[in-house]
Amino acid sequence: MRLYWLGVLLCWAVLGCAFAGGIDELAAARAQPAAKRIVALSWEAAENLLELGITPLAVADADDYRRWVAQPLLPGRVLSAGSRLEPNLELLASLKPDLILSSPVLGALRPRLQAIAPVLTIDAFRQDEDHAQAAEAIFLQLGRVLGRQPQARARLGQLAQGFAQLRAQLQAHGARRLPRVQVIRFANASSVYVYGSNAMPVLALRRLGLNTTGTPAASVWGIRQQRVVDMAAWQDEVVLYQQPFAEAGRLFVSPLWQGMPFVRQQRLAAVAPAWSYGGVGSLYYLAQRMTAALLQLPLLADKPVAANRPSLRSST
Amino acid sequence: MEHVIAKPGLGAGAHAHLRWILPVLCLLAGLHLWLNGGMPPAGPWWQQQDIASLQFYYASLPRMVMALLAGAALGLSGSVLQQLSGNRLVSPMTLGISSGAWLGVVLAAVVLPDNPSLSSGWPALLGAMLALGLVLLLAGPRGLNGLPLVLAGMAVNLLLGGMATMLVLLHDQYASNLFVWGAGDLAQIDWQWAQWLWPRLLPAALLFWLAPRPLAMLSLGVAAARGRGLALGTILLLLLAALWLSAATVTAVGLIGFIGLLAPNLAQLLGARRPLAQLAYSALLGAGCLLGSDCLALAIGHWAGSSLPSGAVTALLGGPLLLWLVRRSLSTAQQAAVLHMAGGQRRWRTGDWLLLLLALLGLGWLSIALAPGPDGWQWGWPDALLWSLRWPRSLVALSAGAGLALAGVLLQRLLRNPLASPDLLGLSAGSTLCMLLVAGWLGRPLQQDATMLALLGALLVLAGLLWLGRRHQYAPGMMALSGIALAAMLDAMLQTVLAKGTPDGLAVLAWLSGSSYRVTPAQAVWLSLTVLLLALAALACQRVLTLLSLGDGLAQGRGLHLSAARLLLLLLVALLTAAVTSVLGPVAFLGLLAPHIASMLGARRAANQLVVAALLGAGLLLLADWLGRVVIYPRQLPLGMLASVLCGCYFMLLLGWQGLRRGGGQ
Repeated sequence: MRLYWLGVLLCWAVLGCAFAGGIDELAAARAQPAAKRIVALSWEAAENLLELGITPLAVADADDYRRWVAQPLLPGRVLSAGSRLEPNLELLASLKPDLILSSPVLGALRPRLQAIAPVLTIDAFRQDEDHAQAAEAIFLQLGRVLGRQPQARARLGQLAQGFAQLRAQLQAHGARRLPRVQVIRFANASSVYVYGSNAMPVLALRRLGLNTTGTPAASVWGIRQQRVVDMAAWQDEVVLYQQPFAEAGRLFVSPLWQGMPFVRQQRLAAVAPAWSYGGVGSLYYLAQRMTAALLQLPLLADKPVAANRPSLRSST
Repeated sequence: MEHVIAKPGLGAGAHAHLRWILPVLCLLAGLHLWLNGGMPPAGPWWQQQDIASLQFYYASLPRMVMALLAGAALGLSGSVLQQLSGNRLVSPMTLGISSGAWLGVVLAAVVLPDNPSLSSGWPALLGAMLALGLVLLLAGPRGLNGLPLVLAGMAVNLLLGGMATMLVLLHDQYASNLFVWGAGDLAQIDWQWAQWLWPRLLPAALLFWLAPRPLAMLSLGVAAARGRGLALGTILLLLLAALWLSAATVTAVGLIGFIGLLAPNLAQLLGARRPLAQLAYSALLGAGCLLGSDCLALAIGHWAGSSLPSGAVTALLGGPLLLWLVRRSLSTAQQAAVLHMAGGQRRWRTGDWLLLLLALLGLGWLSIALAPGPDGWQWGWPDALLWSLRWPRSLVALSAGAGLALAGVLLQRLLRNPLASPDLLGLSAGSTLCMLLVAGWLGRPLQQDATMLALLGALLVLAGLLWLGRRHQYAPGMMALSGIALAAMLDAMLQTVLAKGTPDGLAVLAWLSGSSYRVTPAQAVWLSLTVLLLALAALACQRVLTLLSLGDGLAQGRGLHLSAARLLLLLLVALLTAAVTSVLGPVAFLGLLAPHIASMLGARRAANQLVVAALLGAGLLLLADWLGRVVIYPRQLPLGMLASVLCGCYFMLLLGWQGLRRGGGQ
């Protein structure tokens, strides 16, 4: 029985640690510029390391990272550290890393990870924070901890410049004319996930100076599930959908879809795949791909093709 | 009787109900359309091009039609299956057909991503047929009208569902767009599915025309029907038609349980006695039930601001309703149905102890000493760090295996039912459901207060079982039914969580698949001590167990207080299940299989069976844990799921082999 209470106490302690992570933990961490062998147990951690010019020793779900995050490129020699939900502790122990970058999902594992190497938890997604600002703060703090603050600042400068270029490109094509932009991902042919005000794609759009949705989503992850039918209520929004979408062939030919205001008035564009739950780098890649998609809209094409559409003129 | 068979009509009494069923159905249809966005502007439909009428004609109307079609098809299919088997517990869901279809779709999505064959429906159809084939093979020709069919269906359900979950876990990104389908969503965007479905439901007309006569003959009993010249081919044809109906429906709308089970029972409750009346009423009531629950799903969706799959609503409503309904209509013969699984002729020898212990030691050595590393396989005693990572997992696997096996032996002896096990009776599902509900409600991590919540869930289920069982003398039928209802509700909740599309869903899925990964050393020690204590308690009960397996009358004659003994043993089972579930999550089949292997090896006396089954269970789970760690290194398979799938396959082989041998011997 005593052991049971010991167990309960231990669980509480573990959970207590789980909630104490986040940017604060990163900010309070002392600098470890000597850390060379670093393991990333989440994709945003891996992405941040690569953006800082550090190749991690191992990354959780490395193969899926190469398929789904893709950019920044993960070298082929980097090992897979098991799955993101259950990284392989034995593998980590035999790799003898200097530092483990963890995520809040693994909060309960912290004591065991700490037995292997020092642990830093990156808590990039919280309901009450601006995820884009948090991503920048995390990137800078991580740079400081790893002794690469100049690189971090330089990279942030580059990214800001990139954003400015994209923004200028959009403005040159008259993005001021654009109404509100909604970003969605299809769950299947009849339901979609709508990115809310605190989701990375929406934050990227805001940085581009575009008008976006104002509804916050209830969850930490910033998405809300909705039926395709209900999208009919979007009267003059521009709609961007993330690829890949396997059932496009079925949905896009249906009369209902053809009748949606944003389809009739050609305010729909496909966005090439980019990771929606990443860090500063992903934010930029999202912006890049969404800009490319937006520029293909007739609304923003070089020659205004909308001359014969009275409804469009009245809406701008 | 001759008269009944010659004119299988609706019957005079049943007509009375049509007067209110049809208006209610129309009312529900109107309510459904209203909830789904209201009526379009007046005018002929071919001239309407504005979005409101497009919405009406391409989303609301097809959704209503799909609800009617799917509900009617499921009700009809359930009715045919029930009348064929003479078994009120049979339905497309309880026969594992829906799980089979789900597995087919997941498999197709993983093997051929980005392939349109997914929506063609063939993978689901093949999966459904596989499931039904397995169930029929398991139950055997004589098990059709009894509990064996339902229990075999539950087992197939668990096995195929477990396989599908394993595939989803391994390929989460590919499968994520399937989650909404899996939850049974009726939302439509055009007439494509309705157009796909209705021609495939045409065999229903054939059923109405052909089925009443053979069904009426069958209601007299199989032997009597044979005597009157009923051919086996006719029965098979009807069975195939019923299967076709439900498989096509599952393909079109996903997993929607309970309708096929509820509608025929409701029909009977309303007084439909003759076959044609039962078929017609089941179809109507099925359509009504699905339409009604879809109305509720729409209303909740409006109120909560996001869509809720209709399958989840039917499961949450249908579970309790089913228990209430069938409690009264279950016949005594079905309740008292006793199953026999043939044991071997072998006798247990002293040398076997040595072999068993040696095997267990070998497995223990294997799980501690042999593992792949970053530079290939490593063999030898691990260093302190690796040791501290490995021993809690091995200890938990050992004690959980032993605990589940013990619970299985106790339950099987108690209910005199070789297919009873904690997972089939819903104890594991109850524990898990309780943890999930509380975690979801309070928004806390799953592991928090896990033990208490799991115990609470298992005790609630147990209390329900005891309360229900008292009226039916703890009949196996009633017990299995609660398991079916709870497992389906759990499944619906899981699918709903997954359909939300957030990464949290996968974390829940990972926990639900029974992983020893997150076990802390303290938990491992706690579990092993608890199981040891409960095992001693179980051994102390061996006389009671022996007496109970002699039969109620004999046991009472020897001075056993029956209800006290049952209560004590059931409590022991609940404690064992809750302890294991709180640490590991649900593990299926082990509790079923370990006692059976023990008795096949010759350990048939109570004490002997308890100990041998516990050791076997421990060994099996230890092996599963080791395999889970090494098979797809550096990723890992959850031990519970691996054990469930392995044991499930073995179980199928065993039953199938026995069925074949029985068939061949006669």
